Amino acid sequence: MNFTLHIWRQENAKAKGHFETYKVSDISSDCSFLEMLDILNEKLINDHIAHPVCFDNDCREGICGMCGLYINGRPHGNDDGVTTCQLHMRKFNDGDEIWIEPWRAKAFPVIRDLVVDRSAFDKIIQAGGYISVTTGGVPDANTIAIPKRFADMAMDAAECIGCGACVAACKNASAMLFVGAKVAHLAMLPQGQVEANERVKKMVCRMDELGFGSCTNTYACEAECPKQIKRQNIARLNREWIKQLFAGNHKPNEL
Amino acid sequence: METNRLIKISSITKKLLIALFGAFLLVFLLFHMCANLFILANDGGDAYSAFCHFMGTNIIVKIFEIVLFGCLILHAVLTVWLWWLNKKNRPVGYHKHSRTKTAKGSKLAIITGSLLVICLAFHFYDFYFVKLNFVKGSYMVKMEDFMTSDPTLEISEEAQLVFINAINDGRTSKDMKWLRNLSAEDKDILQQAFPEAGFEPDFYAIAHQKFSVWHIVLCYLVFFFVVGLHIRHGFESAFQTFGLNHYKYSRIVEILGIVYCWVVCLGFAIVPIGVFFRL
Amino acid sequence: MKLDSKIPEGPLAEKWTNYKTTQKLVNPTNKRKLNIIVVGTGLAGASAAASLGALGFNVDIFCIQDSPRRAHSIAAQGGINAAKNYQNDGDSVERLFRDTIKGGDYRAREANVYRLAEVSGDIIDQCVAQGVPFARDYSGLLDNRSFGGAQVSRTFYARGQTGQQLLLGAYGALSREIERGSVKLHTRCEMEELVLMKDTDGRERARGIIVRNLVTGKLERYSAHAVVLATGGYGNVYFLSTNAMNSNGSAAWICHRKGALFANPCYVQIHPTCIPVHGDYQSKLTLMSESLRNDGRIWVPKKKEDAEAIRAGQKNANDIPEEERDYYLERRYPAFGNLVPRDVASRAAKERCDAGYGVGSTGLAVFLDFADAIKRLGRKVVEQKYGNLFQMYQKITDKNPYETPMMIYPAVHYTMGGLWVDYELQTTIPGLFAAGEANFSDHGANRLGASALMQGLADGYFVLPYTLQNYLADQITIGHIPTDTPEFDEAEQAVRQREQQLMDIKGDKTVDYFHKRLGHIMWEYVGMSRNEESLTKAATMIDELENEFWQHVQMPGEIESFNPEMEKALRLTDYFELARLITADALHRRESCGGHFRTESQTDDGETLRDDNNFMYVAAWEYQGHNQPETLHKEELSYEHIKIATRNYKN
Repeated sequence: MNFTLHIWRQENAKAKGHFETYKVSDISSDCSFLEMLDILNEKLINDHIAHPVCFDNDCREGICGMCGLYINGRPHGNDDGVTTCQLHMRKFNDGDEIWIEPWRAKAFPVIRDLVVDRSAFDKIIQAGGYISVTTGGVPDANTIAIPKRFADMAMDAAECIGCGACVAACKNASAMLFVGAKVAHLAMLPQGQVEANERVKKMVCRMDELGFGSCTNTYACEAECPKQIKRQNIARLNREWIKQLFAGNHKPNEL
Repeated sequence: METNRLIKISSITKKLLIALFGAFLLVFLLFHMCANLFILANDGGDAYSAFCHFMGTNIIVKIFEIVLFGCLILHAVLTVWLWWLNKKNRPVGYHKHSRTKTAKGSKLAIITGSLLVICLAFHFYDFYFVKLNFVKGSYMVKMEDFMTSDPTLEISEEAQLVFINAINDGRTSKDMKWLRNLSAEDKDILQQAFPEAGFEPDFYAIAHQKFSVWHIVLCYLVFFFVVGLHIRHGFESAFQTFGLNHYKYSRIVEILGIVYCWVVCLGFAIVPIGVFFRL
Repeated sequence: MKLDSKIPEGPLAEKWTNYKTTQKLVNPTNKRKLNIIVVGTGLAGASAAASLGALGFNVDIFCIQDSPRRAHSIAAQGGINAAKNYQNDGDSVERLFRDTIKGGDYRAREANVYRLAEVSGDIIDQCVAQGVPFARDYSGLLDNRSFGGAQVSRTFYARGQTGQQLLLGAYGALSREIERGSVKLHTRCEMEELVLMKDTDGRERARGIIVRNLVTGKLERYSAHAVVLATGGYGNVYFLSTNAMNSNGSAAWICHRKGALFANPCYVQIHPTCIPVHGDYQSKLTLMSESLRNDGRIWVPKKKEDAEAIRAGQKNANDIPEEERDYYLERRYPAFGNLVPRDVASRAAKERCDAGYGVGSTGLAVFLDFADAIKRLGRKVVEQKYGNLFQMYQKITDKNPYETPMMIYPAVHYTMGGLWVDYELQTTIPGLFAAGEANFSDHGANRLGASALMQGLADGYFVLPYTLQNYLADQITIGHIPTDTPEFDEAEQAVRQREQQLMDIKGDKTVDYFHKRLGHIMWEYVGMSRNEESLTKAATMIDELENEFWQHVQMPGEIESFNPEMEKALRLTDYFELARLITADALHRRESCGGHFRTESQTDDGETLRDDNNFMYVAAWEYQGHNQPETLHKEELSYEHIKIATRNYKN
């Protein structure tokens, strides 16, 4: 298969970027999207055309959440429930033009080419996306029984890989699905109850500070999430937030 | 990163407020729609007029009116504020337009909302501003207002003529309690003659005047369609924002939303259509 | 050099308790004065940093990715072992210990393995408290499944994403410490050099590291009282493996160059259930969890004609009638069937394919069939248990495993070898510790499924927080360690020089070109089965390839910039040396054990044949300079508790 690629090139965070057009040919339909880019890079280096295209990737099996390209108007490309590394060229037609862009969001500045800085996600988790236990001194694992249904729902939410596709897809660059998934995961478990109010407050405030937008219920995040995390988690986040508003121990001027 | 602001409202709370005000408007809309149906009652507008009188004079209703307008304005202002804030979160946009499959309602909400503001302006011009005396319309007045007036008062011939014409034209309610469908000039003449008479807008008459013109009917149908689009997003969205979306009953909410949307839109649409075709 | 494994006195079951009660501790005020560097944010690194930070030490943690949560522990699918005996099926610490020793083909250190089994239960408690959503049954209690090499169900799991959930648990604990300020996170930083400093007693100790900031390409210096390496394994020396693209062995190799001994490099685990290779552009192999072997049955056609027909695309798996199928694992190992340990399953697959019964277009694949399970349990149950794995398979291969059997083939997965460490997880360089896959200690010659997660977390949560204190107790008087010393200058200079050297070659080939070729050599000649001839051949080929690399590699861009090619090149230079050591180690170990199979040493029916008289030791290698043969040190393994036997999974 042959493709025409329009790829966003940007020297560094401060440089002005632009699109560059490259052609690749003889690509197998079994090739993954990133392997196609590997082939392109091999060519760019060998033929001294340009600096190889930089893109984040690691596990290449859809679990680490490192890869993420905005391909022809969709985060992770034109397939549902996959990461960019799981996207295969058989999903394209021979001769297609492919536009490849980095995630675009104020909170995710570009580092180089298609690589963006997603440390804002880490900062949101640091604000409270955990249960504060130190090592040791915890009760036996079977002390608290958790209904299977809840455990399963917690797991559904916990599957988030933190790739940022939700932010990339959202017209407001909102991180509500990411935050919602973590809040819902922990709110669903008895262990998470103790800090539930504090957690949701800290995480949402941090999210706002970092320059993510608010949710306007478009659900583009849900449509593009490679792990198909559901919008119900955002509702759960809202619910926890309301609960916190009335029960939380916060300053009166913080709503 | 701590800023010492007077009040810090999180993005979720902003959205909650929008949803709260929106939900109030949704309830009002249903009420408004039901009230409109009185126009179609086959009683020459008596029931509707009585209802309008109640609405125009009851103190509790008046308070609600203020609350309602507050909701409407805050709903719009907060939304525009949030929309403006959200726009800033993606300083560099995508070259390729989004191809993500989403419900259109939400993306269109800001547009349908803006359209609604324009539509509402016309709607107010047609109806509500009559009440506020900003524009002229048709009026009605209680017969007893004439009776209890000071008998020593001299009544102009002009006023008598207007009065007699109205009676002769049958512009009264069946129980003869109301004099209705008075034009603005007639109203002014009568008002001069009876300074204490309380004139109220005759919305029944106004509706009949407006909805007998086909392009106004068409405009209103478009208006209701836009309302439909907006609340189709709004209804479900409000539930989501209040955190009332759960795997168990999200389907029910969705169906409720569709039913609500259709009921309200058809309920509204049936009035101008009914009036136009004199059903 | 005399290797002292520092195994505590006393009966096996009491060693760890004895150690903990007699070790030195650091009091809370002194903890604040001590700095620890942790390299790597996988299960071992994140859990160690979180635990040490919570204790009150100042911790700097480094990862090469953009976030600690990307570490490749996240990709572990199947589960984590623990001797909880929740199933009442006869499990115990002793049994987990015995299974692990036996699974490792009697090449692991007894005391370490016993400690691992001992703390395994605590790990589950810890993770549940962190909110890890382990699978539960309808009573609301934790569910277990069975894994290779065990006859009990002791594996805890969270769907097919156990590694992810455990890592996110550790990442949460780490994030908490970062927020509290006890741990400082450095992302997109790769360790390029270890800095040693002479103490007043004349001993060289690990005192810091030089890292390359991968965003700017600039070198940065960090000092500490102890350095913990938790950088994973070196499986990517084979180019195609189940490891992530950025997983690499460089950090461990850098320490090896600085004097840390490297143990058992030839023990490489080949995982039996991976999606087969399908093209030369392929960048990595995807693992299908071992848990699939709980319900899936592995087979090839009984008749060669059928196998040929399938390869040619004339027949499908479903065309082969039941009686024409050879369920070779069930045939050869009736007692364990499809759940034999990984090395056994991998070799059996290779044996069938080499004999001409392989399927798939390349003939390098066998079937993993779920038809029986679907019939027995119903599609819905199978979907619940393995749905995400099936989906993953379908995405990659475009074939539906509910309808046609999966095709699988072995691939490089895990490296049992690693930096030599003593009972305290300290390497031969004082102050340098190694945890998780980066060390060699607990799995012997073969790791059992679901044991890597157990070891990583055991090291990080429950071992290092104790043993590090025993070392640091002596360090409280040292005070702050400056980074503007000649030692740091020299280390930084060395890194710059290596980078410049690569830039100056200005050749005509990419790094991946060489890496693929190295991988090919390793897989062909130092892969699943090795012999004198193949290994000697590999050694020369590696030398030639390395020479070619140093003349022809091409480096785009600048040193001080975001330059992934430079990162890859630096790692590849270490892989050449590492490949040579793996080959040398494999060559010297003239026996078969676990993941190391020498064709010269096998039983009549093709099983591994150990030589306990001559090779009952850990081979720890000492670096002697580039391209110099390394020196072998032996740590004799003495089994006091366990009776050594031939591994038997047949009955």
